[in-house]
Amino acid sequence: MMSNNSNTASRQFVPTPAQPAPNMSAGFVAWVRDNLFSSISNSIITLIVIAFFVSVIPGIIDWAFISATWSGADQSACNKEGACWVFINAWSQQLFYGSYTDGELWRVNLCLILLALTVISSFTLPKSFRLKLSIPLFLVLPFICIAILDGRLLGLEYVDTDYWGGFSLNILMAAAAIIISFPFSFLWALGRRSQMPLARSISVILIEFFRGIPVLALFFMGSVMLPMFFSEGTNVDKLIRVWLVLIFFMSGYMAEVFRGGFQAVPKGQYEAADSVGLSYWQKTLLIILPQVIKVSMPNILATFVMLFKNTVFLLIIGIPEIVQTLQTALSNSNWLGGWAIEGYVFVFLIFWVCCFGMSLLASKIERDLDTDKRD
Amino acid sequence: MFQKKTTEQIKAATRPSAQKKAGAFYNNPQIRAIFYQTLLVVGLLYFFYAIVNNTLTNMEASGIKSGFGFLSTAAGYDILMSLISFESTDTYLRVFIVGFLNTILVSAIGIFFATILGFIFGVAYFSKNWLIRTISTAYVEIFRNIPLLLQVFFWYFAVLAALPGPRDSLSFGEAIFLNVRGLFTPKLVGSDGSTLVYIALGIAVVGIFVLRSWAKKRQELTGQQFPLLWGSLGLVIGLPLLVALFTDLPFTVDYPALKGFSFKGGITIIPELMALSLALSVYGGAFIAEAVRAGIQSVPKGQSEAARSIGLKENKIMSLVVVPQAMRVIVPLLNSEYQSLVKNSTLAAAIGYPDLFNVFVGTALNQTGQAIETIFMTIIVYFILNMMISFLMNRFNNNVELTGR
Amino acid sequence: MKTLVKLTALACLAMGANASAGTLEDVQKQGYLNCGVSTGLAGFSQKDEKGEWSGLDVDVCRGIAAAVFGDATKVKYKGLTAKERFTALQSGEVDVLSRNTTWTNTRDVSLGLNFAGVVYYDGTGFMVNKKLGVKTATELDGANACIQAGTSTELAISDYFRENKMSYKAVTFDTADQTRAGFESGRCDFLTSDQSQLYSLRIGLSDPSAAIVLPEVISKEPLGPVVRQGDDQWFNIVKWVVNASIEGEAQGVTSANVDEMKEKGKPANKRLLGVEGELGKNMGLSADWAYNIIKQVGNYSESFERNVGMDSPLKISRGLNAQWNKGGILYSPAMR
Repeated sequence: MMSNNSNTASRQFVPTPAQPAPNMSAGFVAWVRDNLFSSISNSIITLIVIAFFVSVIPGIIDWAFISATWSGADQSACNKEGACWVFINAWSQQLFYGSYTDGELWRVNLCLILLALTVISSFTLPKSFRLKLSIPLFLVLPFICIAILDGRLLGLEYVDTDYWGGFSLNILMAAAAIIISFPFSFLWALGRRSQMPLARSISVILIEFFRGIPVLALFFMGSVMLPMFFSEGTNVDKLIRVWLVLIFFMSGYMAEVFRGGFQAVPKGQYEAADSVGLSYWQKTLLIILPQVIKVSMPNILATFVMLFKNTVFLLIIGIPEIVQTLQTALSNSNWLGGWAIEGYVFVFLIFWVCCFGMSLLASKIERDLDTDKRD
Repeated sequence: MFQKKTTEQIKAATRPSAQKKAGAFYNNPQIRAIFYQTLLVVGLLYFFYAIVNNTLTNMEASGIKSGFGFLSTAAGYDILMSLISFESTDTYLRVFIVGFLNTILVSAIGIFFATILGFIFGVAYFSKNWLIRTISTAYVEIFRNIPLLLQVFFWYFAVLAALPGPRDSLSFGEAIFLNVRGLFTPKLVGSDGSTLVYIALGIAVVGIFVLRSWAKKRQELTGQQFPLLWGSLGLVIGLPLLVALFTDLPFTVDYPALKGFSFKGGITIIPELMALSLALSVYGGAFIAEAVRAGIQSVPKGQSEAARSIGLKENKIMSLVVVPQAMRVIVPLLNSEYQSLVKNSTLAAAIGYPDLFNVFVGTALNQTGQAIETIFMTIIVYFILNMMISFLMNRFNNNVELTGR
Repeated sequence: MKTLVKLTALACLAMGANASAGTLEDVQKQGYLNCGVSTGLAGFSQKDEKGEWSGLDVDVCRGIAAAVFGDATKVKYKGLTAKERFTALQSGEVDVLSRNTTWTNTRDVSLGLNFAGVVYYDGTGFMVNKKLGVKTATELDGANACIQAGTSTELAISDYFRENKMSYKAVTFDTADQTRAGFESGRCDFLTSDQSQLYSLRIGLSDPSAAIVLPEVISKEPLGPVVRQGDDQWFNIVKWVVNASIEGEAQGVTSANVDEMKEKGKPANKRLLGVEGELGKNMGLSADWAYNIIKQVGNYSESFERNVGMDSPLKISRGLNAQWNKGGILYSPAMR
């Protein structure tokens, strides 16, 4: 090494070929020794863990695959030894789309695709107009989706909100709530940083209120208390009421996310914007907001995952999201065989895949941001 | 165009007062601020007025009773578990208190075990054993990404419901029994002289604080460490035990025994409490493990290298050098995890653990129909609980920051 | 302020002004009936894989739709939880609540509701594991009870045990399905619920024959449709839709023979089916209102057997819900 270094100026750097690894420090056996059996306590833990998996996994595989029933028309095809995937199969449309009118399912799919496209576009559009385009896109998306799903405005067949449901409702509800919460939370976060004492205290109260009470209580408010608040004779749809409640719930959380984002933006940015004579709103919207959104991205995703998981609680107030649909299915007199485990395992898996995917995405964005900072 | 202006004219045009006139009062930021805020307040006031007004009209129109009078009427239903005595003839106010205490209990248990789990798995992420690292990652990624409601169902309907029935309970030394009805443990019942023992326990607790400050002083003076954990444990257990021996053991043990349908006597820990605590600790633990991991990663590598170079052992490096510094990052995260744990305890409703939300917004609301009053009272409680956690954690945070510097 | 403006704007978007004319008029104008049902209760209101609703409670709404529109399918079902059902009715979200709701004095008097009759006479019963060897409910002293939270069962059971100086522990669950799972796991010694539910819960057990339903019925649980107070016309319509289906069975008019009866039935048949008299017109309905109910939904007996009786998986016997002259207590007031 030393000799190489001293000569680099005069001739090309030629590394000496690497020494072969000493016996037993590479390869599988060595890896196992280093990572699994490096000490006595480690070995014991390793053995316990392996023993646990060996005793549990075969039973699960047998239940889920080998003895399971995959095809059939009703529960008479199933046996008690294995899983009855027939149940999931028969109810799959309900579990995904709720009772949405049969021939109109393309509308739900369209909304899901639009959502996916908007999300993808906000990552892939050219940087020059990415924010200018994707923020308005996001903000109109929920209303477009409502128009598509509802159908009256577009001259399609009218589908009442009572028929919306299933897993698609979990996704769309969560997305619609977090998107519309953006402007509110942004305003509240600004208010919390504002110099105006009243505006600040009102923002703090709103944020702390919606963060401080359980989401279940909020849903109850949406379903039981809100109808009392509207003037007599006005009737706001239950789904819309819950959506409103969710928006405010989310605004509380997102306001805190944005507050963190505001604090992460260097002071010089504010001062630079002030020095070129931008007004407050120009400064906030054009200079600060884009940076805040960028910095907050991992937290926004994490908050979305939280909200997405919380949509399950909608079942407590009888909104036919996926778990509610599952419970409806379990209480149908033709399916009274007790197929709860199959149902919950299925829901378990769906949620896990979605949430895990999003948390992977969040940590990837976080890593990308980290490298940005180092540049 | 190029008329020559008199100096007087120029002065007049550029005089500050003239500028102000052109700028007009509505460009004055202070006046604007006042204007916006007045607008905001008036709007809010109107909003609340409209809500209250609508609610009152609606309630009158549909003939619903209102007010808190229902609190003093008999509830008429039973509650599965209460820390204070409860009969179905007791009032709704007592229902409220019972539920409140149950919420505190499950939240405290949840916070305690979630913290332990979180620290174990957070530290395990840095283990040398590949299997442990993988399990730690798997634990965090699995339990963080599944809705808590499903986890509560899992623990209750899949794990605890698989325990044997009361007649074939798992027994540990014929004193502790575990079955589908819960965990049954013996209970110490104090007789005449037992107050002395309680006093001794009190003295021991005070003693810990004295011991702690003494140990700290000694360490600062001489650098010698005192085994504080063992010392305190010895004090808390030893002193009351000593007093008890001298006073001829003024206790009787109430063992649980199978009578009729189920176990009677002793302390019963109902499976609802176990399942909810399990779910809350495991779910909260996953998030806390993430926080701990982030905290440890935030401590510069140089710190542990320096500690290693002066010859500290690995476990001492973690507990004396890395974790104390990581706490500065961990504590604010813990604050929000604890708050969400308390809020998540409302999921008790799903498995019938009688927490505040379940007995009050669940049953009481349904029996009285007084939605606004019950929900309002419940919300306030959770709100205050969260404020308290926030307050305590902020104080703790200040401590951590001081020692950190 | 801006948030508020947006909020109100949003709220306005979602509002359908629902000026309080008569409920009948509103229903006719909107073209369908808003019916509040349970989110899922076997035999009473349940959804199938296609999203179609059926059940005894659902048939009440279908009957109302048949009477009002002549078309039993013009119903929008809203699945409601036990907790929100009354608010949904009070706020006008549903026009009629047909959700296995027990008729109690408190609910009738202080919640601003009117009960429009009884479609199912139920009572709180007990289901125990056979292995326990319990024959009557009086042997249940000190036992654990699985109960669905927020139901009137919770009150009834408390009364019963106090009355008999026995003690019990109530383990409450959120849904019927969870209650069953709790019972099956052995969390409690007996499950208590409305008898109608006991049978459906029993079928769901992995071994239905291992559980028995005890003979005691400890409370009265008359279940029926509910409407808002203050609209007598609508109250009358719902009440007489229920009565028409009971009267249909009493007169032997079924969906199969209703056309024949309309032509050549007795005067009472003709009065019911609208050939004679002005029963429909006086209620603000068409003359053939009851004809439509029986033709499209069937009489009470058909509805019962199809949903909860012998033609269904539940196989509940008629019991109290038989006609008054056949050992039950079903009795329609005179249809004249």
